Amino acid sequence: MRAALIQLARSSWKGPHVVPLPIAQAKKAGTPIRTNARSCTILPQFVGLKFQIHNGKDYVQVEITEDMVGSKLGEFAHTRKRFSYTQTKNK
Amino acid sequence: MVVHILGKPIRGKYRINYGLAHTFFGLGLKQATKVCSKLGFYPEMRMHQLTEQQNMAITKELSEMTIGAKLLQQIRGNIQLKKKTGSYAGLRHAMGLPVRGQNTRNNASTARKLNRLDRKGSV
Repeated sequence: MRAALIQLARSSWKGPHVVPLPIAQAKKAGTPIRTNARSCTILPQFVGLKFQIHNGKDYVQVEITEDMVGSKLGEFAHTRKRFSYTQTKNK
Repeated sequence: MVVHILGKPIRGKYRINYGLAHTFFGLGLKQATKVCSKLGFYPEMRMHQLTEQQNMAITKELSEMTIGAKLLQQIRGNIQLKKKTGSYAGLRHAMGLPVRGQNTRNNASTARKLNRLDRKGSV
């Protein structure tokens, strides 16, 4: 299983998939970074920052912790809502 | 005739590699055979032929590997961590559904059986 995982992993010469984001500004000002780049890899520099990640409809606010490093931004902004039944008043 | 290794009973008539693979969670036939050949048992050797010293040698070898309850604890820890960070994978584990984008209209029975926060294993 491990051998397959290494084979299927991204080539190391490419480095992690990162999109240019205003990180330096956000660190100074402490404002959340609003982004649509769900496929951007979370780097160790992102830890402690706030992101507003697009989920297709609106922007979900997520604070990056140390355990999230290595996964993508989109993993933490869910795109589906659980079905909940609502009774209609007017028939 | 029953042989005990790491507190687990194994039937004496089994071959050593098969008996180990059969008993311990996370130890397959390949790894078990590796352990056997490392300790110098011939392939046809049965469980009841083990001497006390050889039994101790197996116990020492196995206690260094991550198998059984130790492995299960590690797996559960990884799932709990995913859930704690609020990741999609953690959510799918909690819902008992496939994690890597498989279809759920039909089937998905393996995920329904196994995927949960407190994952089961045959320890």
